[in-house]
Amino acid sequence: MEQFLTAVFAGTASGSIYALVALGLVLVWRGAGVINFAQMGQAMFSTYVASTLIMNGYSYWIAFFVALAVGTALGTAIDLLVMRPLSGKRGSAILASPAMRATVPVIASLGILGILQSAAGMIWAAEERGFPAPVSTLGLSFGGEIMPFTAFDLFVIGIVLVTLIITTIFFQKTGMGLAMRASALNPEVARLSGIRTSSVRTLSWAISGAASSLAGLLVTPSANLSPNTLDLILIIGFTATVIGGLDSLPGGVIGGFILGLVISFVNVYSSPSDIFLAILALLLIVLLVRPQGILGSKEVRRV
Amino acid sequence: MFKHLQTGNALKTVIFFTIIFYLGKILDPYNQGQLSVVLMYFVGILSITFLTGLSGQISLGQGALMAVGGYTCALVVLNLGLNYWQSIIIAVLASLVAGWILGITAARLSGPYLAGTTLVIALAIPSLANRFESVFGGDVGLSVDFGNPPEWLSSAVGEIGYEQWQLFATLPFASIALYLALNLFKSRTGRSWRAVRDHEIAASLTGVNVQRIKIFTFVVASGFAGLAGALYGLRGIVGPSVYPISLSLALLTGAVLGGLRSIGGAFIGAVLVVFLPDLIEAISGSWELAPQISNYLPAMVAGILLILTVVLNPAGVAGGLHHHKSRHK
Amino acid sequence: MGKKSVDLMLKIENLVTEYGAVRALDGVSFTAAEGKITTVIGANGAGKSTLLRTISGLENSKSGQIVWADKSLIGKAPESIVRSGIAHVPEGHAVIPQLTVAENIEMGSLFRRRNFRSDVKLAMEEVCELFPRLAERSKQLAGTLSGGERQMLAISRALVSRPKLLLLDEPSLGLAPLVVEQIIQTVNDLCRKSGLTVLLVEQNANTALAVADYGVLLSLGKVVANLPAAELKADASLRAAYLGY
Repeated sequence: MEQFLTAVFAGTASGSIYALVALGLVLVWRGAGVINFAQMGQAMFSTYVASTLIMNGYSYWIAFFVALAVGTALGTAIDLLVMRPLSGKRGSAILASPAMRATVPVIASLGILGILQSAAGMIWAAEERGFPAPVSTLGLSFGGEIMPFTAFDLFVIGIVLVTLIITTIFFQKTGMGLAMRASALNPEVARLSGIRTSSVRTLSWAISGAASSLAGLLVTPSANLSPNTLDLILIIGFTATVIGGLDSLPGGVIGGFILGLVISFVNVYSSPSDIFLAILALLLIVLLVRPQGILGSKEVRRV
Repeated sequence: MFKHLQTGNALKTVIFFTIIFYLGKILDPYNQGQLSVVLMYFVGILSITFLTGLSGQISLGQGALMAVGGYTCALVVLNLGLNYWQSIIIAVLASLVAGWILGITAARLSGPYLAGTTLVIALAIPSLANRFESVFGGDVGLSVDFGNPPEWLSSAVGEIGYEQWQLFATLPFASIALYLALNLFKSRTGRSWRAVRDHEIAASLTGVNVQRIKIFTFVVASGFAGLAGALYGLRGIVGPSVYPISLSLALLTGAVLGGLRSIGGAFIGAVLVVFLPDLIEAISGSWELAPQISNYLPAMVAGILLILTVVLNPAGVAGGLHHHKSRHK
Repeated sequence: MGKKSVDLMLKIENLVTEYGAVRALDGVSFTAAEGKITTVIGANGAGKSTLLRTISGLENSKSGQIVWADKSLIGKAPESIVRSGIAHVPEGHAVIPQLTVAENIEMGSLFRRRNFRSDVKLAMEEVCELFPRLAERSKQLAGTLSGGERQMLAISRALVSRPKLLLLDEPSLGLAPLVVEQIIQTVNDLCRKSGLTVLLVEQNANTALAVADYGVLLSLGKVVANLPAAELKADASLRAAYLGY
């Protein structure tokens, strides 16, 4: 029973981080039609900045918000400097096929990831950084017993839930949120309504950048930070979006939690080297039964 | 006319073989080793040229298929005692089968769903090595190599160094791969791949069986990847660290930089991927940079090149040359 | 009776739009008079939709001029053309099915929110009065509406941006005659009451010519006739040659 509870709580906590990553990926996919493989690179970079601030005596929360700002700035920069010029390029024959038009931004994001990782290496010499948690990371005591989760786990889940609530309110109740939804669903009608779809796209990148920094900040106390540690999290987060449905924000979140729990259970009841096999099995089952993902919409399956 | 094509391809292959062989005789050992890695990357990148360049499907997991080839080859050599020629052929067959399985799954997916699945596969397959440690040797891996150069070669060419032998042993396979690739490119199969890439719906309306073509592409691409993986493994070791996710990404990078749509592009890409770090070191060595900068400089340059290529010249070096040539005819 | 500061006329001069090698618009010239309904009719493939799409910025013209309110629209993005007072309702009653009716209408008013907050509210109320059926369904997803309702919704979205020029592309497509009648009458009333300039593209020449002031007949990308509607309607030979009846 103790094992089960540990698995559940650890899975929920890590699942909430994957949910955040998935959120960022779905945002950019819906807003810009791109899978941003550089996302965790942005997270890693902003977390390094935060960690440097803390090393220089600033408080956790200042570092926290600076990291979010850096992530947002990176996201915006990627859209303005790379993605916009990319989508403007219609002349080249190689971009004639829809398959290539989808592939090319992926390759670009891989390039950006490489740049971010090497930049981090150059600036911080790939030092493994520790990163503090703002609350205790020891098992909580509850009625005299030590529970299999910590105050920090609750902190993480709490922040992710708050983020989800804020994003949902933003998308459903604000004008900008409506503009973003409209641009993602039908850019032509959106433009004819006077919506500046390219600015909206940049906003998607910016918000996604903030979300990914958040994920980076929340995951690092439990993992040491170095230029490559977050790669795996991106892959798992991406799998979460595929399972949940690439164009669905709630789908990505659900996918994140599912994966978190699956990985946790595999870790506890089997061995860590089975994790990717389990993920692959889950992925294949979902895609076999529902190729568009759990909450995905049918038309998006084909590029 | 078909015969004429084949002769042309045979000629190109012979020229290729001769040039590389000659380079193998005159280069220093370090660069001989680099050149054999180039050949290996060349074959690996060809798998991407066919899959992505010709057929428009994206795979982030070609490294995993290389692992299949490498492990099969190693297992056959170690457990069945076959020589490396036979083992490589079996390894390629195994990769063809793996490609077929992969193709059946993947042909139903497109774009990001395909990318995601191949990515997870790229991680799952090497982790098998740890799962079944006794068979696959876990993290440490299995040791195999090309063995010693045969008598007839050393008596014909003179004494053969270690790296030189690696190069000479790899060369025939790379040449065969080149010949096959040249033929496939211009064949009817190649044309139907391009049709599927550019306009799936239109292609299916003209009677092309899109699903079958996609699966076939995966099979062919996997064959090339498996061959590359086996050649890579025969350099000494087959293990998870030999086929990391960065290998899949390096193949993709080389393909894009060199030119996704041509065989020449695949070779240029291989040269770039292998020699870029050396080149950067040669240029920056005299600048006295701090180690933390020089360590990451190749990766940084590669990333920047990738972005510049994709934004300014998506057709890669080969595409750019082709364009230049046709404009100045 | 003050002097108008800006001339709200739409002037098209020698407009050429190409799709690859095909010239969809081959030197189109005409003027849409302010406050009047000008209808653009012609057979399928005559270039009518392309004309509207070029005006609204969705398509790039190859050469020629489009002048609206004394400013050229050439090269401008659709978003900014909307902001200069032109609303385009594309064919196929372009609504976003996954959004609600209210959201679809709201979309059209977003860009005005910052400067015309109170007027936006007013505009939305007016549109609800115009199409009460939509008001009833305001929380429903647009995908659940009937064809006629969707067309009304698309027009509402356009109207809520308070355009001075309304581009309507084949509003009758796929709709029952009674519904078409309703919609065309509503647009006609709007034009007469508020001075809205309307450029109406229609397959159904009769319906269009019944309410229009002027008619432009297109064939294969060229203007074949540019006449007051009554004259166009009466000209049997033109009708036979280009409209097939």
